[in-house]
Amino acid sequence: MDDMNEIINEFITEAMESLDKIEPLFVELEKKGHDADLVNEIFRSMHTIKGAAGFLGFQSIVDVAHSSENIMKKLRDRDISLSTELIDVILKSIDMLRLLLGHQQAKDGVEENISGLINDLESVLQKALEQPVPSPSATDEPAEEKSVDSKADISNGEEISSQKQVDENIHEKEVGHDNSLLQSGEAATAQRSLADEQASCELPATNKEIAKNLRVDVNRIDKVMDLAGEVVLVRNRLMNISHYFNQKYSDDPLTETLMESVSFLDRVTSDMQLAVMKIRMQPINKILGKFPRFVRDMSASLNKDVALHIKGEGTEVDKSVIENISDPLTHILRNAIDHGIESPDERSAKGKSPAGNILINIYQKGNQVVIDVSDDGKGLDTDRLKQKAIEKGILSMEEADKMTDDNASDIIFMPGFSTRDTANELSGRGVGMDVVKTNVSLLNGYVEVRSDRDRGTTFRICIPLTLAIIQALMVEVSGSKYAIPLSPIEETLQVSSAQIKNVNGQQVIVIRDRVCPLFELKNLLGENGNGNGKEDSEQKYLVVISMGEKRFCVAVDNLLGQEEVVIKALDGIDTSSTYVLGATITGDGKVVFILDVNSMSRNFFEIAKG
Amino acid sequence: MSDPNMKILVVDDFSTMRRIVKNLLRQIGYENVEEAEDGAQAYSRLQNGGFGLVISDWNMPNMNGLDLLKKVRSDPDLKEIPILMVTAEAEKERVIAAIQAGVNNYVVKPFTGEILKEKIENIFDKVNI
Repeated sequence: MDDMNEIINEFITEAMESLDKIEPLFVELEKKGHDADLVNEIFRSMHTIKGAAGFLGFQSIVDVAHSSENIMKKLRDRDISLSTELIDVILKSIDMLRLLLGHQQAKDGVEENISGLINDLESVLQKALEQPVPSPSATDEPAEEKSVDSKADISNGEEISSQKQVDENIHEKEVGHDNSLLQSGEAATAQRSLADEQASCELPATNKEIAKNLRVDVNRIDKVMDLAGEVVLVRNRLMNISHYFNQKYSDDPLTETLMESVSFLDRVTSDMQLAVMKIRMQPINKILGKFPRFVRDMSASLNKDVALHIKGEGTEVDKSVIENISDPLTHILRNAIDHGIESPDERSAKGKSPAGNILINIYQKGNQVVIDVSDDGKGLDTDRLKQKAIEKGILSMEEADKMTDDNASDIIFMPGFSTRDTANELSGRGVGMDVVKTNVSLLNGYVEVRSDRDRGTTFRICIPLTLAIIQALMVEVSGSKYAIPLSPIEETLQVSSAQIKNVNGQQVIVIRDRVCPLFELKNLLGENGNGNGKEDSEQKYLVVISMGEKRFCVAVDNLLGQEEVVIKALDGIDTSSTYVLGATITGDGKVVFILDVNSMSRNFFEIAKG
Repeated sequence: MSDPNMKILVVDDFSTMRRIVKNLLRQIGYENVEEAEDGAQAYSRLQNGGFGLVISDWNMPNMNGLDLLKKVRSDPDLKEIPILMVTAEAEKERVIAAIQAGVNNYVVKPFTGEILKEKIENIFDKVNI
């Protein structure tokens, strides 16, 4: 029984992957026109899904896949020609297959009514069959399979009505089998001489390549990840202790051996960490497959012409990024098509090409993954953004006046903001760009927007490469130790109290001619100081943090150094109000909170309502 | 009767299908099963020798089932290996092509362990005569 469940799960995963793979092919097909390879690949996937679903008794899946496969078969055999209508209806059946697979996965027993779709598939096929097909050119005809089909038709004359008849054919054939086989075999061998040799030379190599891949349960990988994290923590402790020993017993020859072993452990642990991290990394193109179709459908429904370009789809990112970045990207794309790209007429009037362009560019920069989504549309209308924000009461007139254009662009990330008066069918669903921001910050990343009037808008998402292990700066506040993730830290400074100014109740400091808001960490954390803190000391340490365009500093009592920390999630803590991201165990065995600079940034720069 | 320890090669590009066939084979007493993802991979596996039966899907990338069949039949070392083709209902016409190329038997998806057993025994009854 367990075995059966496993097979069903494997089927669902594999079928979903197949659907993800063929979906973008339709958009390609639409662009290229008839392409035998593309048609054949889609046909094959539908066929395979149907076959396996048949074994598992998923009749609805069999029916939908069967009707779609029929259309693909007629397309392959050139009995019908490609049309938008055909593509639309097959794309719909892909959606339905996903839905049906989803029900099987959830085991919710929900039945979908597929008769409407099956009717659509059949009537579209019928209609296509009645259309005259332009005579296919000899070159791209899938010659072999076609000729096999027709030969069978001719030689048989009558329809093969039952399996028995075919079985008899096998019997008959069996007798003369060996002779005819040998002959045709010899001829064939003679024909393919060189090609075969080459193929057989290459085969073992591809074989090995395939055997290198292994499907592993994600939970097992996560377990290894977790254990690697624990090893890192122990390594950190050991390193601390060994330094202590080194100072205390430096004369003892054993100390030297200890130091050597520990430094070896240090290196190996770092390598292991990297290796484990890489297991979880997957090329991001896994989630990009659905976007060509999404852009196609959405732009068509808005009567816009939009071409999607994707660069860097092979960039590898952590599994959790793959899982969580799809929705934000969809939303940004939706926004770009709906609000960014103008109608073809409007574009022509501006002297632009009638078709708009959207580029998704993914690349690794240092220890971050950057995803840029740029369009060449009209850009953000900052005046209108301000106007709307004031109308909705999320921005005061005064604040709006003070805003620079860059700041005004950020209005779109404000909770409850959406420039359409009534959410339309596509951009709507009651979520705004603030959801993008929230999702990205859950990945410890940030999103920013840059826009040029009439030249376009670029959304940039930056996400750390790995989420579980981070480099952190250890700081001390009121006698307690805290960890601040290193990646957003720009620099650390030591300043005297006299350098800190107060402007309208906000502490600021001027760093190289730039004014930077300053916050006392102990106030943020509600540390009231138990006497250990240097309450009013002359010297203060500042940690300068930059999140995208935003820059601020937090004042701490002491800087303790850099440490690698493993993030352990804390259940039941609201990170945005406590500024705590999680906890870790440090080298000296203490539990230390890791601070959430992201929510600090959000709260500091949040424009108060009214 | 066929030897239950016979090594069988299951060829299909869809791993779930390979697993289903393997499962059915286990049900009917065949434990010694290897897998290949397409005709090309299957052909190179077969060259290592030792296989008593090939169960192959038709539609596969790189090298489809019919091409694998033709290739095996034209290879003097491999031509005696029995091949059972797995096809779908709609492809009955194609079975003719497979017969012409020397397939030993075929089975229509979906099938049960019993049907598979019958087909395999059928092949070996004939081969042994």
